[in-house]
Amino acid sequence: MTVAIVLSAALAALVLAIALVLPAINSPTVPFGVRVPAQRADDPTVVRQTRVYRWRVLLSGIVAIGVCLAIYGMTGETLLLPLSVLVLVGFWYGCFFLANHEIRAAKAAGGWYEGVRQGIAVDTELRTDPPRFPWLWLAPALIVTIATVVIGVISYPSMPDVLAVHYGAKGIPNRLAAKSIGTAFSLVFVQIGVTALLVGIAAAILFRSRPDIDPAHPAGSAHWHRRYMLLGARALLGLLAMIDLAMLGSSLLMWTGTVTPWAPLVVVLPILAAVAVAVVVFARNNRARDEGEEDTGLTHREDDKYWRSGLFYVNREDHALMVPRRFGLGWTLNFGNPKAAMLLAGVVALIGLVITLRFAG
Amino acid sequence: MILNVDLASDVPIYQQLRDQIVEAIADGVLAEGSSLPATRALAADFGINFHTVNKAYDLLRQQGLIQLNRKTGAVVTTTVADPLFSADWTARARTLLAEAVARGLSPEEVLESCRSILDSFGTTQPEETP
Repeated sequence: MTVAIVLSAALAALVLAIALVLPAINSPTVPFGVRVPAQRADDPTVVRQTRVYRWRVLLSGIVAIGVCLAIYGMTGETLLLPLSVLVLVGFWYGCFFLANHEIRAAKAAGGWYEGVRQGIAVDTELRTDPPRFPWLWLAPALIVTIATVVIGVISYPSMPDVLAVHYGAKGIPNRLAAKSIGTAFSLVFVQIGVTALLVGIAAAILFRSRPDIDPAHPAGSAHWHRRYMLLGARALLGLLAMIDLAMLGSSLLMWTGTVTPWAPLVVVLPILAAVAVAVVVFARNNRARDEGEEDTGLTHREDDKYWRSGLFYVNREDHALMVPRRFGLGWTLNFGNPKAAMLLAGVVALIGLVITLRFAG
Repeated sequence: MILNVDLASDVPIYQQLRDQIVEAIADGVLAEGSSLPATRALAADFGINFHTVNKAYDLLRQQGLIQLNRKTGAVVTTTVADPLFSADWTARARTLLAEAVARGLSPEEVLESCRSILDSFGTTQPEETP
């Protein structure tokens, strides 16, 4: 119970912090997901919307958490606490959309793109000399997975005949299963699945994403993008190592038949810590640094029409699987690409597997 | 190498691509034997039709600046200028110099800017990628 409160509070604080910081770390020429020429980045409308957005987010945060706490106080339902994070994300999107809408309207009314020289910049080295996959960063995840298998195989004979495969809210097992390879090693299968998925996403970022290079400062922008891609891949592999570690910890509890109220923490703490670290790493490097490159006089081409609701990139003509997010950290899928649907199906299947293994029933 | 296409320019995109690749070769950014991206990959990165990239590559191939090969893709080659090229290039330079003289630039100024452009080639070193 206390665990649920602390975790939900941590998650809500993380979401709130990201929401408040984002306008300052996203590209200044894409305020709230609207592409604007550089000379309009500090337009009064943009400045005002940024201020209003921050107030709205702060207020929504207080309201969402307050209401959820009040209902929780009356009903004592722990499920409401993680729900408050979801409600907060919903409010957050509302705040984003209002700002996006206002800036889009000002852009159309003021003809911000009239007389602007639009260009496209490409770094050919990304294709002729692509960044190398950081195999070394995959090593911790592989070592943890192999260690889990080895420990499991060695201790299999001494495991209890009945294993707890599902825990209730207070860490008390409420579903048991007879010992078998399938039940004892269920989390190893999760480890393997997550490893395959995250390695796939890291590879997609490195080799199947399209950079969004600023034609006004192409060299600095290309340099930054290369660095950001490598950082992204490493952050994902670090997260993977922590997920695998969480599965190892959880497996050990299952195999030894340990029952403790802090069992969920073994899973959630490493993952939450890794997510927090990854968010900080992304946030600190999210904006290209000014390297004193001379302005070429070109502006990024107007491409708002491909961004549905300001957030979802849908472009059938674009062969890229992933593109940098306009509002947020990291990358987003190109939903116009059929392969993106396959990747999404993979994620959904994996989440479904985890839920049926751990939480369902 | 950075390719930067101006969508508002009167110069067609394939011509801009071709010109920038020629300049990169003169600059030393593209050394002999360095490869260019596949046509489809480059077109995808630009979000333009791959025929446009094809056209630029074809021009470069005709002018002996790159070799197109099914296996290795587009590779930069340097062929020594033949008399035909020299004559053709002189004719084009003549028009360009005539423009400067017709607009009242002094021969010294014209020579000075020619010299500084020639000097600027080869000063850009290919960037080390970490």
